[in-house]
Amino acid sequence: MKKLIDIKAFITATIVTILTIILVFIGSRSLQNYDAALVAYLFGTLFAIFGIVYRYTVWIQRPPTWIYVNRSFKVLFSKEFFHFSWYSIKDFVKNIMLQSFILKRGKKKGAAHLLMAIGCSLAFAITFPLTFGWIHFTLVPATGLDPNATDIYTAHFFGFAVLNFPVKSIIGFMIFGALNWCSILVIIGASYFLQKRLKEPGLIAIQTFEGDILPLLLLILVSITGLGLTLDYEFMHGKAYEFMAVTHAFFVIIFLVWMPFGKFFHIIQRPAQIGAHIYKEVGKRKGMQICKQTGKPYTTQLHIADLQLITRALGFNFRNEKGDSFLEYSPEGKRDMLANAHLKARQEAGKFFG
Amino acid sequence: MAQSYKVQQEFFVDMQRCIGCRACEAACAECETNGHESMIHVNYVDRAQTIQTTVQVCMHCDDPVCANVCPADAITKDEFGIVHSANTSRCIGCSNCVMACPFGVPKKMEKYDLMMKCNMCYDRTSVGKKPMCATVCPSGALFFGTREQMEKMRPNSTPVNKFIFGQETVETKVNLMMPKGSTELKVF
Amino acid sequence: MARLPIDAEEIIAKFGPSLHMPDREGLPGRDEPDTIVETHCCFCGMQCGIKLLAKNNKVVGFEPWMEFPFNEGRLCPKGVLRYMQNNHHDRLTTPILSKPGVGFEPVSWDQAMEKTILEIKRIQSQYGNDAFAMLSGVSLTNEKSYMVGKFARVALKTKNLDYNGRLCMVSAGAGNKKAFGLDRTSNNYTDLEKAEVIIVTGANVSETFPTLTHWIWRARDNGAKLIVVDPRVIPLARTADIHLDIRPGTDSALFGAILNYMVQHDMLDHDFINNYTSGFEAAKDAVKDYSLEWAEEITGTKKEKIEATAKLWGKASTSFLLHARGIEHHTKGVENVLSCINIVLASGRIGRPYCGYGTITGQGNGQGGREHGHKCDQLPGNRDIENPEHRKYISQVWGIDEKDMPGKGLSAYEIIEAIHRGEIKGLLSICFNPLISLPNNNYVREALEKLEFYAGIDFFLSETLRHANIVFPGSLHEEEEGTVTTAEGRVVRIRKAVNPPDNARPDTEILIEIAQRLGAGDKFPYKNSEEIFNELRVASKGGTADYYGITYEKIEKNMGVFWPCPDLDHPGTPRLWEDKKFKTPDGKAHFNAVEYHPSKDPVDDEYPVILTTGRVVSQYLSGSQTRRIGKLVQQFAQPLLEIHPTLAAQYGIQQDEEVIVTTKRGEAVFPANIVETIREDTVFIPYHWPGKKSANQLTSGHLDPISKIPEFKVSACKLTPTGNIAVVDKYSEAYKSS
Repeated sequence: MKKLIDIKAFITATIVTILTIILVFIGSRSLQNYDAALVAYLFGTLFAIFGIVYRYTVWIQRPPTWIYVNRSFKVLFSKEFFHFSWYSIKDFVKNIMLQSFILKRGKKKGAAHLLMAIGCSLAFAITFPLTFGWIHFTLVPATGLDPNATDIYTAHFFGFAVLNFPVKSIIGFMIFGALNWCSILVIIGASYFLQKRLKEPGLIAIQTFEGDILPLLLLILVSITGLGLTLDYEFMHGKAYEFMAVTHAFFVIIFLVWMPFGKFFHIIQRPAQIGAHIYKEVGKRKGMQICKQTGKPYTTQLHIADLQLITRALGFNFRNEKGDSFLEYSPEGKRDMLANAHLKARQEAGKFFG
Repeated sequence: MAQSYKVQQEFFVDMQRCIGCRACEAACAECETNGHESMIHVNYVDRAQTIQTTVQVCMHCDDPVCANVCPADAITKDEFGIVHSANTSRCIGCSNCVMACPFGVPKKMEKYDLMMKCNMCYDRTSVGKKPMCATVCPSGALFFGTREQMEKMRPNSTPVNKFIFGQETVETKVNLMMPKGSTELKVF
Repeated sequence: MARLPIDAEEIIAKFGPSLHMPDREGLPGRDEPDTIVETHCCFCGMQCGIKLLAKNNKVVGFEPWMEFPFNEGRLCPKGVLRYMQNNHHDRLTTPILSKPGVGFEPVSWDQAMEKTILEIKRIQSQYGNDAFAMLSGVSLTNEKSYMVGKFARVALKTKNLDYNGRLCMVSAGAGNKKAFGLDRTSNNYTDLEKAEVIIVTGANVSETFPTLTHWIWRARDNGAKLIVVDPRVIPLARTADIHLDIRPGTDSALFGAILNYMVQHDMLDHDFINNYTSGFEAAKDAVKDYSLEWAEEITGTKKEKIEATAKLWGKASTSFLLHARGIEHHTKGVENVLSCINIVLASGRIGRPYCGYGTITGQGNGQGGREHGHKCDQLPGNRDIENPEHRKYISQVWGIDEKDMPGKGLSAYEIIEAIHRGEIKGLLSICFNPLISLPNNNYVREALEKLEFYAGIDFFLSETLRHANIVFPGSLHEEEEGTVTTAEGRVVRIRKAVNPPDNARPDTEILIEIAQRLGAGDKFPYKNSEEIFNELRVASKGGTADYYGITYEKIEKNMGVFWPCPDLDHPGTPRLWEDKKFKTPDGKAHFNAVEYHPSKDPVDDEYPVILTTGRVVSQYLSGSQTRRIGKLVQQFAQPLLEIHPTLAAQYGIQQDEEVIVTTKRGEAVFPANIVETIREDTVFIPYHWPGKKSANQLTSGHLDPISKIPEFKVSACKLTPTGNIAVVDKYSEAYKSS
């Protein structure tokens, strides 16, 4: 029976959410630097944080996941700390940042996904601190008052001034335009996937609206309405500001609320891949498991030993009367054994056909 | 999706009819969901001694071990009992499913760091067609149709979907044709 | 001189074979094809129905054709991947001219034609018309086969036309003509379904005709007993009731002993023998000493198994006997076939439901192709080129003077021998790759090099065509309309799915233009394939293979029509001999006296092991098409020497060790695959590969005196292990070996 609420996860999520709120207070200097217009976003984000942490905690407690978490941390903090830290960094760059495994699944697909990933990560990196009031910008008053002087802005992080820059400079352009660039990247990437999902029979067959189409639509809508804000400001003199601001906030908040439940959760899950890789490396050092049927190595001994535990914990028992486990056979060996058991049954019955 | 899935049609396997031609393997790769990778397994059981080959599709277990042992919740079973291939965005390529599946079905595609497996040609079955492998199989080792058709064609065999592996009993959606009267197959 | 203009490797780099692998995303457009064409697979004699998907003049995929009655959607891996031969980077798309030291250069159609005509005329005026030969193949449709036959005789005016069917089922054809007066399998394959006993001899059905397996398994579902005769445990034999693992080349001894057993135990259908057959006494006498013990000695198979076979066969009330190249590729191929027919006739089980007999024709149009066209001794309708009446009739259909009709020419291998002797100086080939498919191919290569002029028509530059002076880019199966006749005798429609790409042309158009330029254009006035077929119908009328009543419309409506079909109202003939009126001169089925003769290349102390050859499921014949389809190549990437562990131990051969196989013709190296599924005195090598990987470097040119089929199935060899362990994986480059 599944529990209605996972107490551990609930407590963890609550603590993390409260911690975030505290950090918002500290970072915005008791809300003194907080932009009230962002309050709606803040609540959305807090909800997302609660949800994500809750789900993450539930998730890593599952036997198969917990084994990986456990093993990865043990290894990481063993005497091979440096080796595996370096390994993790390399793997992170290769597979999480550059996403080389997706590129191998298809060049266009990989490129489109990378665009979305860059756009999203960058946007998160900008908007979350903004929403938390950790970052804000102030106009250097002297430059603001003098109509002939170039406007100079100061960027503050956690209440400390970190950077002065003229608004009409490359840095200014990049900083104030960053979210627009993110939007464009996301729109290109997501549109590519959307058109694929609309026309490829293989994808159409297995996709669901809420699982696959909705996330893409949300990404595109968030990005378009975000761009709309700039367009309105640049070209329409803010005439549609209210409409744009409301629709953008609306889609962003749906996006945030949806994060713990839908496809976006994979962003949080993905780093577990590094754990899986480390696990395999460690296993290889300890030795390979030899299939009792084919006599060939098929995975690590560590993997099989852990699978014994996992399957047991999940209520499966592949041990026979003699105490041997069916997990000690490779996939090919298992198929052979099934075929042989079937052959034997047919032979005993005296005919193969009919 | 899937409005046209023909629930009365079932999958029947009989590897003793297999002639090892691998038509199924070639056809499987044509399934639109597989990206030209073949998901079906055909292999010699022990080539040095016999020409016997075995063919294995996903059996689509009632309580799929693969989905249970997945640390990333990447494998799901749908309302028709089809156990789907790993969700590409979730799968972390750990191979738990590959090693735990009692039928040796999931394939780890090392290059893509992804598990892929048979989804009973969901692009075809979900629109009322037969899976590619069972359509082309020239030996009847793989057959997709109704129980009545099967009963008529092979009256001396019984479809069995209960398999014993040690102390575990696994029930599946896909049937194995066994001598008449059989109720289960003890593999291990 | 028809030598390679440059190194084979350089030619291969440009013209292949290279592998066509599918893109992960699939071919563009297959989800929304322009057309879906109901046609047939281009490979074996089963001619399975298949739908091809075409987009932008390219075949982009396939869909099973569930309604076609023979295969109901079923296919083998070759059928599934057949669509990959289209849209191939090796495809010839322009005429090419061989320039020594330079290679093959593109030339215009006009230049290519002009040069070819000039050479034909030069050779024929200098050495006589018959010094220019033509070789053809039965992957061609009926229309093309018919036209090649007419083209060679009427336009080229040569008697020396033969075809690759000579390596296929000519022994069966000759045997069937002797026994029944007609050459076709006697039943369609649905008659297998309720046969009580099925004998499959020398036919690796599960690898060479995989879709026929369905009908045999159906029979077994219905309780049939299956007897498989083969020196190897082929997939069909593994579950068979009896597997007779006879020594290669001893088939007629086995069937002689079975006939004798039937006589001894009176398992005969006397009524049938007395009323509808002749020659029984002589046939009986010929085998009177063939005891089970003798047969065990000769065949190397336990007499108990032979006896059990004879009993099953003798007592059955319905039965089917199938054979293929395994008994036909012998110097006594015709005798082997006749020994099979003898036990069928003795049982009287023919011309009734579920009582059948037949050869399983190997090539796509092996059946239709051998009836109407390009056989050296034959005219359309399976007529005899030496029969005055037949000559007269066809001359009249063709509008030529009977005196101008050439006589009987040389058979395929004899043409090669005549080239060697300098009697034949020029050659035109279409759809034939003798450098791989003929035996003793080092000898074949020498012959090709002696040619003064060689032109070829094909869609890929085959190994043989590398020797050509001119190659015309022809058309694929899916690029022209037509018909073929399946191994069952069912005439089916081949549909055009796409046009030949770029500058390539339909085969018929190429032949018509050559004919025109040779001054015989008026004899080839066809506007389309259907017109050729309609002329074929008339030409076949009154012959044994009578197609007169078959029209394109009728084929399409009925998904095929079985010949003979003498008039338009005739429904066709799925099952022959129901009227017991055989097509022999006396109207009776003929027994033939068959004595056992040993093979022409017997083992001795120097060459102590029997070498036999055959096929694998993923390749088709000389591999000109299938060695270019990536996944088929990788399925069985290189030829392996199948050898029994006992024999391997005798030579100290290890698994995957490279072994030198030597015969009187030459030697070649193959990795060993040590398996218990072969006789201890026999080794097996599949023959689809070229160059150094070709098994036919080793086989002999000994021919059957009647059918002129070479003895591929028995060669004496010796084995020398090299100590090198080969890498046996799917990445072998044997497919393009030079």
